[in-house]
Amino acid sequence: MPSIYINIILAFTISLLGILTYRSHLISSCLLCLEGIIISLFIISTLTTLNIHFSLADIIPIALLMFAACEAAVGLALLILSISNTYGLDHIHNLNLLQCKK
Amino acid sequence: MTYVLFTLSVLLVMGFVGFSSKPSPIYGGLALIVSGVVGCMIILNYGGAYLGLVMFLIYLGGMMVVFGYTAAMAIEEYPETWGSGFEVFGCFLVGLMMEVGLVLWVLEFDEVVVVVSLNDMGNWVVFEGEGLELVRGDSIGAGALYDYGRWLVVVAGWTLFVGVYIVIEITRGN
Repeated sequence: MPSIYINIILAFTISLLGILTYRSHLISSCLLCLEGIIISLFIISTLTTLNIHFSLADIIPIALLMFAACEAAVGLALLILSISNTYGLDHIHNLNLLQCKK
Repeated sequence: MTYVLFTLSVLLVMGFVGFSSKPSPIYGGLALIVSGVVGCMIILNYGGAYLGLVMFLIYLGGMMVVFGYTAAMAIEEYPETWGSGFEVFGCFLVGLMMEVGLVLWVLEFDEVVVVVSLNDMGNWVVFEGEGLELVRGDSIGAGALYDYGRWLVVVAGWTLFVGVYIVIEITRGN
């Protein structure tokens, strides 16, 4: 396996860690790191396809990018929803409608 | 020059550490754009001219613009960057140190054994030479989307339409 995949798999893992931890903002914790995951998956599938010269599998990165664009658009729309309905900022501690029952 | 592709992948990881250490979304978007540019250059070095251009145009030119405008709506008065406060800077520094350690490991041992043995120098050393080459392998493959994959085109078109409709319904609100 080509040794350049180390860094790209590492980039995927770093983005995954970025999703699993959170700080104050919703957009930087969820949406941007999700875009990072999509980029790293795109790069891995493109490099594999180009490496083994399997031209028909070039469809896979393009279809992946297309569905990721859909998902990012819906995610941003939900972000705008959470901004305009709560307090004008997308802090995560504003999503507090669901509380534990005492 | 032989190791230019490895250097680019190191820069990719550094860009990912940059937005994964959670600064304010504006600076995160900046690091994502830098990572996208570096990723595009990696793909170009493998001979994927069409796919690198797809990533540049559609991803950076389309989605990052949308992200930039939305982040401008979600901004606060004093956005925190990598130099303000200890948490973001500490995360960034830890990520950089990890990557430096990995680079030293690869340069020393020439292979990394995690689950498989990643040691193939195969295609990513750059052979310098003269002359012109015509790169068309991947654009032919992507053009097969409309030939062998015509049902995928139909499904993807319907998905995009439903996605746009969902966005409109969400932002309408009432």
